[in-house]
Amino acid sequence: MASDPIQALLGSFREEIGRGVSTRGEFERLKGRFLGREKGLVPELFARLKTLPPGERGAFGARANAAKTEIEEAVRRLGAELERREAASRDRAAAVDVTLPGRRPRRGGLHPITVVRRRIEDIFLRMGYSIADGPELENDFHNFEALNFPPEHPARDAQDTLLVDRPAASPLLLRTHTSPVQIREMRKHGAPLRLIVPGRVYRKDEVDATHSPVFHQVEGLVVDHGISMADLKGTIAAFLEALFGKGTKTRFIPTFFPFVEPGVDVSMTCIFCRGDGCPKCKGSGWIEIMGAGMVHPRVLQGVAIDPEEYTGFAFGLGIDRVALLKYGFPDLRLLFEGDERFLAQFAGEA
Amino acid sequence: MKFSLDWLDDFVDVEAAGGVDGVRRLLDRAGIPIESVERRAEDAILEAEITPNRPDAMGHRGLAREIAAMAGRPMREFAARYAEPEGSGDTTEQLTSIVIQVPHLCRRFGARLVLGTEGRPATEIVRRRLAAVGAKPISAAVDATNYALWDTGQPLHAFDFDRLAGGLLIVRRARRGERLVTLDGVERALESSDIVVADAERPVSLAGIMGGLDTAVTDATRNVLLEAAWWDPATVRRTARRLGLHTDASHRFERGADIDAIPGALNLAARLLLEAAGGAVAPGLLDAQGKLFRIRRTALRLSRLRLLSGDERIGLDFAEEALVRLGFSTERKGRRISVSIPLFRADVRREDDLVEEVLRVWGYDRLPSRLPASASAGSVQEPLREVEDRLSDAAAAAGLFETVNYPFVDRTADEELWADWLRLTESAPEPLPLANPLDASRRHLRATLLPGLLDAAARNLRRGASGVGLFEVGRSFGAAGQSDHPESYESRRFAFALAGERRSHWSFPEKLRPADFFDARGVVERLLEPWVAPKDLRWKPARVAALTEGAGALVRTAAGELLGLAGLVSGAERERRGLAVPVFAGEILVGAIPSGAKPFHFRELSTMPAITADLSLTHPMDLTWEELSAFVVGRNLAHLESFHCLDRYEGPGVEGGKIKTTIRLTFRAVDRTLEQEKVNSEVRRLAAELSALPGVAFGA
Ligand SMILES: [Zn+2]
Repeated sequence: MASDPIQALLGSFREEIGRGVSTRGEFERLKGRFLGREKGLVPELFARLKTLPPGERGAFGARANAAKTEIEEAVRRLGAELERREAASRDRAAAVDVTLPGRRPRRGGLHPITVVRRRIEDIFLRMGYSIADGPELENDFHNFEALNFPPEHPARDAQDTLLVDRPAASPLLLRTHTSPVQIREMRKHGAPLRLIVPGRVYRKDEVDATHSPVFHQVEGLVVDHGISMADLKGTIAAFLEALFGKGTKTRFIPTFFPFVEPGVDVSMTCIFCRGDGCPKCKGSGWIEIMGAGMVHPRVLQGVAIDPEEYTGFAFGLGIDRVALLKYGFPDLRLLFEGDERFLAQFAGEA
Repeated sequence: MKFSLDWLDDFVDVEAAGGVDGVRRLLDRAGIPIESVERRAEDAILEAEITPNRPDAMGHRGLAREIAAMAGRPMREFAARYAEPEGSGDTTEQLTSIVIQVPHLCRRFGARLVLGTEGRPATEIVRRRLAAVGAKPISAAVDATNYALWDTGQPLHAFDFDRLAGGLLIVRRARRGERLVTLDGVERALESSDIVVADAERPVSLAGIMGGLDTAVTDATRNVLLEAAWWDPATVRRTARRLGLHTDASHRFERGADIDAIPGALNLAARLLLEAAGGAVAPGLLDAQGKLFRIRRTALRLSRLRLLSGDERIGLDFAEEALVRLGFSTERKGRRISVSIPLFRADVRREDDLVEEVLRVWGYDRLPSRLPASASAGSVQEPLREVEDRLSDAAAAAGLFETVNYPFVDRTADEELWADWLRLTESAPEPLPLANPLDASRRHLRATLLPGLLDAAARNLRRGASGVGLFEVGRSFGAAGQSDHPESYESRRFAFALAGERRSHWSFPEKLRPADFFDARGVVERLLEPWVAPKDLRWKPARVAALTEGAGALVRTAAGELLGLAGLVSGAERERRGLAVPVFAGEILVGAIPSGAKPFHFRELSTMPAITADLSLTHPMDLTWEELSAFVVGRNLAHLESFHCLDRYEGPGVEGGKIKTTIRLTFRAVDRTLEQEKVNSEVRRLAAELSALPGVAFGA
């Protein structure tokens, strides 16, 4: 019997495919040789169909179809395989040393004072406080008198004041604390009231590692019916825990500020030793962090709020000191030198 | 202020109070923190911090009272210590006299005479105790007065009686032109606001501050007049401050001395002097009275005590006991206590002060802790703060670091070249000076943030940075304010500075481009974008000496409101600030930003394709982009969606004095695909109309 053309075709195809293809050109050549529309061996097979006697056509046609299916399927698989290999090789060209640094967009950053201020603001905003603001250039009335610092009172000594050389009925000065904004806000809005005042303040202090003529405070004020020392304690405890972390305890010690009565110094668990005692807290386990108290009835009367109807508390803390404690840098002067190497360290904090 | 534990033990049993550690804890709770303890063989020295409202605790007796009250222990019996010493001979009243001419300012003046003393040192215990509190032993008479001061808190003075002209004392105002050489050897010129103790001829002591040298006791002194008085705090403070004097006596008188302590202090001092230096005490205390103090009474209501403390457990029994221990007299009247305030507690005036006294003894750590019930309608922010925060965020995102700079400057050295900018922002011509600057060479408040910021940039470059980008949010101060509205002197500002290279990366180290004007302008545009679209900003060349001419600009709103300036810092200003490299800087007037809510509406997106066309024209340099773009807008080209400057070129191929600008125009219809020919004809029309402008040409 003459060799079967279908068997011969399949044999030759299987042989070629067994050798495999490594390039797209080889693949295209293989595909064209067997399946090409013009001279492909498979179309040629079907062309031969017409030359066969009608009785053989059925069986031949069925086997030719099966061979075509096998060849097409194999070519498809081979094409897909080639595609995968090509993609893999393209990917290999895109490979890099992933341990080299990334190309970050240049960025700047907020000053550590701003970072801390915003943390504090966020804590109080969540507790429903408003944020108020007032002038840094103040007068004696708002900065001292209305806050129950009488003229010629030694309480003023603690706040060595930078005076502005400009005649005014109430002498002009750079505010020594953010407390004058209490007066402005109470005069403007009356009671009830719940606000904080972050801001820049000034004192006539020579510059050294722990002193600066410019520094920053946050003042807090709540005036409402039935406000007590217990509310002050709870508020400060919640605030300091939010700012310095769970487990931060607070302690009140009596002290004197003319605009509060009673007045307290607030200490918190030493953040360096968590209360065990270390050189930073002089072994006490506590560090002083802020001042607070119940708003003095004279201050309330001065802004036409009846101290029998309303009571309130006020507190104040130094932002610079919080930054110093929180980030552990040794010298306050770093805050005011504008050295990018220092400032860049806080860029991730904002 | 130093205290001796041994001395305190004269008044309260310190062992029973827990020894030195117990005393320290009790005083902490009382609000008198102990800064340090120095332990000695027979004693311990406490360094106490005493707030200015507590002059009563500025002596061992007063501090012991606090310890006793906090410990809940009685004071020791000490009446004998202050008892009148046995006298002999002529009475004090026969030997001398006192006249008070200013009874409001000197409310009591007491004197005792010790006659026939010898120049001997004080007794051993007096010298030891004075040394313990840091007072130098001097002589029996001076040490007796110092001992009485540290014991009772009442300052005293010792005169050499034989040197007092007329043997009498007059308390009066100083006369203008009078002079007094004080104990420290300094001659003081007196003013009529000063109070002096004078003899028949001249001032012999600056009341409440320091005695005179000429009448001071010496080794040769035989007859000593001891004086103790009550002086008006404000008067003492004014004089002491004017003369730059701060003494143990003035420190206490400024804060308010205990008028009732005068006789006891004089008795104690006289007895100590007698013990050490012999002689005899003249019988009787000369006790001249000025205007008397009234004993003040205040009621403490249970309701107020519980309201302020927030503690329902505190009762009046506790309150009454605490007040009595602290030296107050009380009388129960139902749900209140009527309280008489001792004169040594001048700081206690009102009911709330009594609440504090009770709570100090109760202990703040025992008070409950809770959050205030919320009644507020929610929080609001002062509007400019929000603007400042958004500016800061945008600046940080644009690669700048925030700084804080001191506002103290010298107008000439720091702001002279910014004068035109100060004039535009109404901060000129006069600077706002401080009356008592820290540094006389920087006595003005800054009228712009820029010089300080440029100094900070220069510091960075000097420290080796190859590039720097800084900003500051702060206030500047101008002299044009109204004195009764302090806030009117202030202006809220935002400023930035860019210098040198932008930071590099390993993959493109060579491709760094130095900053230029358009970086600076871009910063301003990006920062203001939340409130004013960049196309609504108007830029005009600025003439400010600190900026390079032609590379500095003022920026305004379309309505003409000045918003700020930006540009290349001029060579002259860079030299002043020590900047070797080009620096771009700008300042924004925060308050001028139209920061109200801006209505915003979504614009429909076209899905139709766009056609772009580029048009290059050569034109004179003085035809600005602003004019050119206004001209393009004015042509009302059909379906022109947008256009921008694609390229600027000057150099070979372009005539001198001219520049070639390429404009890219984008056309699009909302509802259909545009035909190329329609676009071409619009571009031809634009070109034709542009050609009519003087000096404009197309092609190369
Ligand atoms: Zn510690």
